[in-house]
Amino acid sequence: MTDTLISLLSILIGIIGGNSTGIFFKKYSFGLIGNTIAGVFGSVFFIKSIGRLGFSPQAIMETGSVNSNLFVLNSLVSFCGGLVAVILLSKLAAKFNKSNKIN
Amino acid sequence: MFKNKNMEDMIFYDRLQFAFTITFHYIFPQLTMGLSLMIVYFKWKYLRTKLEKFNNAAKFFMKIFAVNFTMGVVTGIPMEFQFGTNWAKFSELTGGIIGQTLAMEGMFSFFLESSFLALFIFGEKLMGQKLHLLTGFLVFLGSWASGYFILATNAWMQHPVGYEILENGKFVLNNFSALFSNPWLLPAFLHNQFASVVTSSFVVAAIGAFYVLRNKNMEYGKLFLKTGIIFGFVSSIIVAVPTGDWNAKNVAKYQPATFAAMEGIFETEEAGAEIILIGQPNMLEKKIDNKIAVPNILSFLTYQDWNKQIPGMDQFKEEELPDNIPALYYSYHIMVGLGTIFIGLMGLALFFLWRKKLYTMNTLLWAIMFAFPFPYIANTTGWYVAELGRQPYLVYGLLKTVDGISPTVSSGNTLFTLLGFVGLYMLLGLLFLVLVGKTIYKGPETQTH
Repeated sequence: MTDTLISLLSILIGIIGGNSTGIFFKKYSFGLIGNTIAGVFGSVFFIKSIGRLGFSPQAIMETGSVNSNLFVLNSLVSFCGGLVAVILLSKLAAKFNKSNKIN
Repeated sequence: MFKNKNMEDMIFYDRLQFAFTITFHYIFPQLTMGLSLMIVYFKWKYLRTKLEKFNNAAKFFMKIFAVNFTMGVVTGIPMEFQFGTNWAKFSELTGGIIGQTLAMEGMFSFFLESSFLALFIFGEKLMGQKLHLLTGFLVFLGSWASGYFILATNAWMQHPVGYEILENGKFVLNNFSALFSNPWLLPAFLHNQFASVVTSSFVVAAIGAFYVLRNKNMEYGKLFLKTGIIFGFVSSIIVAVPTGDWNAKNVAKYQPATFAAMEGIFETEEAGAEIILIGQPNMLEKKIDNKIAVPNILSFLTYQDWNKQIPGMDQFKEEELPDNIPALYYSYHIMVGLGTIFIGLMGLALFFLWRKKLYTMNTLLWAIMFAFPFPYIANTTGWYVAELGRQPYLVYGLLKTVDGISPTVSSGNTLFTLLGFVGLYMLLGLLFLVLVGKTIYKGPETQTH
């Protein structure tokens, strides 16, 4: 059951990833709200798809205790999910509309 | 004895965890479902009048919608997990049926809602105004379809139809259309959806009252107040009559033991049942203490017959009755009481809006501003009525709650994750308040074309 908690932690890390991207790469930022939303969907997408390679929340808890290596990998991928989502969305938004800022 | 105690603990913590996570989760969709309708209204109004304030209002509320939708997604994930972790037997036995509707919810409505939400936010200039309205409408359609599939699942659990039970105890669907023509479904769906419109109306009106009281964004403050009050008044009435009435009649027809418990009828009366307005259930003496009741009204409201007998709890076996009668009784009475107050408050506000005095009546504006949490409470207690009323069954009359839990998950494990959820949800809740608070404080952006 701890895998459910890990999936929530992944999303929080994705939110941090999305907002960190917004802070360090201002040209991609959507503001706090936009970066947070992008972070959530980016981390969910990455973990649901790439996580199947062996570091999904279920795989982390497969032996009954937390596999810390897989957990770190999961966290890194979640962070990257948030980061990539902000960058991709900002490029997409730029194509759609010249002045979008969700804050 | 130790085994029985352990089993009781497992059921208790599994139910507590589900209750906590679903209560927190439902804060978000109940606003998005109602708000999506109001966003479509603002956008449609903009296309008709060409007044920019309507378009800016639609975009402002879509931001609040997006934050709520995202939080709904995050808090919905543990619900999906719990079917497998805490309620494995239930999922194994009924997956052939509830899997259909839950999968349809994900495949059709969630994707529809999330895809067009992104297009609504980013695509206005690219698509033009008419297509922008269409994307808003599709977001609304997705969010209401989501509610429909979830309610179809719940309606089947409340009143199972179109199924057969195999020798191994598994439920399978033998009539797909019966799942969607379930007599429980339509009234429950309409009641739930209009209750969510009540929530969104109160939120929109509260934001309007906030702006008017602060003397900031006055144009939008007045617009939000007017729209929120009109939507709030109409939806509050629809929630009571016909949808609430229709639902109560369904409970009386299909779950008579639940009906007796939620109305607090311990003893069957000879002719005509009274309606209890206020009182406390005394489970030791099996009566309502300090009650204020109106004779014969319940029989009339339920059967349009002043003298029709309604079976009390004394007519049912102990094991047929819901297992927490006081919680069910209070949830139902809180929901009905708040619903009545909503009609009164919105009716009063509508009267002063019509008299053109509302915007200067600070007391009423403060009341509207602070009233917005109450529809959340009414909606949540409404769901408690449905869920507590179905007990001790998961699938009414067929599968008991005790037979649906995962037999190998310990209560300690469930408690640990529950504490984890409480901590993480507190963080998410704070983040949500910051994001929505920031949006409201800033107000709508005044863009012109």
